[in-house]
Amino acid sequence: MSQSACIEGSCMKEACVEENSEKRQEKPGFKLFGEVSFRSFRKHESSLALFNWISILLFTFFLFMAFFPSSLAPYAPEERFIPYEAPSGRHLLGTNDIGNDILSELVFGARISITVGFAAALISTLIGTVLGLCAGYFRGVLDELLMGFTDVVLVIPKIPLIIVLGAFLRPSIWILILVLGLLSWESTARVTRSKALQLREAGYVKSAQCMGFSPYHIMTSDIFPNIIHVLLPKFMLAIASAMISEASLSFLGLGDISLKSWGIMLSFAFFRGGFIRDMWWWYMPPGICITFCVLSIALVGFGLEAKEKEYSEEGANIS
Amino acid sequence: MSGIARKVTRYFASFMLIAVINFTLPRLMPGDPIKNLIGEDVYISEKMMEELRLELGLNMPLSEQFASYLSDLLHLDLGHSYHLHAPVAEILLNKMEWTLLFVGISVVIGSLLGGFLGALAGWKPKKKVSRLTSFAFVVISCIPPYFLALLTLYLFAFKLGLFPSKGFYDTPEIGSVLHHLFLPTCVMSVFSASRNFLVMRGSVIQEKEQLYALYARAKGLHDTGILFRHIIKNASLPIITLLALDFGFLFSGALFIEIVFSLNGMGLLIYDAIMGKDYPLLQGAFLVIAFTALLANMLADLLYALIDPRVRRPA
Repeated sequence: MSQSACIEGSCMKEACVEENSEKRQEKPGFKLFGEVSFRSFRKHESSLALFNWISILLFTFFLFMAFFPSSLAPYAPEERFIPYEAPSGRHLLGTNDIGNDILSELVFGARISITVGFAAALISTLIGTVLGLCAGYFRGVLDELLMGFTDVVLVIPKIPLIIVLGAFLRPSIWILILVLGLLSWESTARVTRSKALQLREAGYVKSAQCMGFSPYHIMTSDIFPNIIHVLLPKFMLAIASAMISEASLSFLGLGDISLKSWGIMLSFAFFRGGFIRDMWWWYMPPGICITFCVLSIALVGFGLEAKEKEYSEEGANIS
Repeated sequence: MSGIARKVTRYFASFMLIAVINFTLPRLMPGDPIKNLIGEDVYISEKMMEELRLELGLNMPLSEQFASYLSDLLHLDLGHSYHLHAPVAEILLNKMEWTLLFVGISVVIGSLLGGFLGALAGWKPKKKVSRLTSFAFVVISCIPPYFLALLTLYLFAFKLGLFPSKGFYDTPEIGSVLHHLFLPTCVMSVFSASRNFLVMRGSVIQEKEQLYALYARAKGLHDTGILFRHIIKNASLPIITLLALDFGFLFSGALFIEIVFSLNGMGLLIYDAIMGKDYPLLQGAFLVIAFTALLANMLADLLYALIDPRVRRPA
């Protein structure tokens, strides 16, 4: 189908739809450029919504696993049976080298992996938000300094640094969380700063300044509520990347061995004979769990981001 | 001019920050700094320890120690590995060639592949193929790289027996090396492509709404012409920044892939250093990777100025 016919077709169909959606399409006249017909557009939207629902469902499932592991796991994770058993009715995913039931381990591992992800993301988002807000609101020298610092930190490769730190410190989950959190705030800081730069020119911020509110008060009660919808997707993506980093570090033996996360399970399966013995039921499940959990979190994040874009296009930025 | 000065100060600050981190870590961490400097699990007599303390200058004030540390760094002296009984710089240089070769090839393939597919997907984001590739690359970017490596190793090397499962070569010939490097390079390329893909897609989606694209269409240029002659030039600018910023990330991903495929490069070296608590080697590896990342960023800045006239022109 030629492009022009397609544009015309979508224009005509567009005209039948409610007015305000057409208005939104109107502002840059050539926006329809390259779009397929409206029907497939709508189909696309519904499939996107489906994806969102699936990811939210998956995410809640993993959360449930993390909160109530004992209701899903058949055994306690440290209970011992015959080692190296293949999957059977009694042990759905077999047993590992010291005879723990792999399914139970998997279920109990969810809490640890997700906790590390959440806590690290919380720390990094907090730091990024505070620095970004200060830089964007005060501007001037502080902005120069903070953003310069951000650029400087951005260049340093994180995982090698974490490897060195992890080797010096005794591996423990808190150190992992702290290090992951303290080293990944840069992109949040940048986004927050650019948003804060926009918002500080808004009318309500100006009037708050005129009324003599302190910068702290303006930042927390006027600017912050308006950037939450940008921070939330960032936060979700930060969880996803922290979980991947945690899994990678555990693979290198830098995780907390006493708290078996999925990454540590995978690392044990690789280095303690699960891979050589062709025990797919040992190393596949934790890997698949990490992938799906990260995927569901990232998709929720993307969904939130898309919603945020819609929201700002609708004119939420009117000052 | 002030832009360049700012860039230079930032790079200098990064350099100093990396050096300071590396300098303070062994002195700050719990335990005897001498142990932290030479690594644990090394047997050394008391007398030798005192000698080393003098040699490493641990009894001098910190400022003097830092000065001598910096001068060592500038002389490319990264210390001595007491596990492998060799200077760290030498060991790293040996292993680094292979890793850089492997990473370099994969990053080039990955950025071309990711850029190309990303451009196509961004051009017609609502087509089925585009949505499928986007989803596939999102999934890939969510898999930890070493798990992806494990899966391919299992499938192609163990189950199908198509490729060897470990090492760089059986006999040091080009054919054998290629055969051995094929799988890891594929995994690494896909991994790096998944990151480039998403950026390229977003940037093409943005660029195609610019007026010059509309003008190209108005003068009757066909679809592929607009995309590959006009849009891709502007859209690939963010890829350069991404490649530079991602360098450290990709490099560490390569380390994990090397471990899985038992490639005797930096990855295995670092793994052994972690297991043996060989701190000087670990620190040296961090320094080298950090400086390569720094260099990559400088290169990207230069390249940017070369490609994009808007950066060169004074605002």
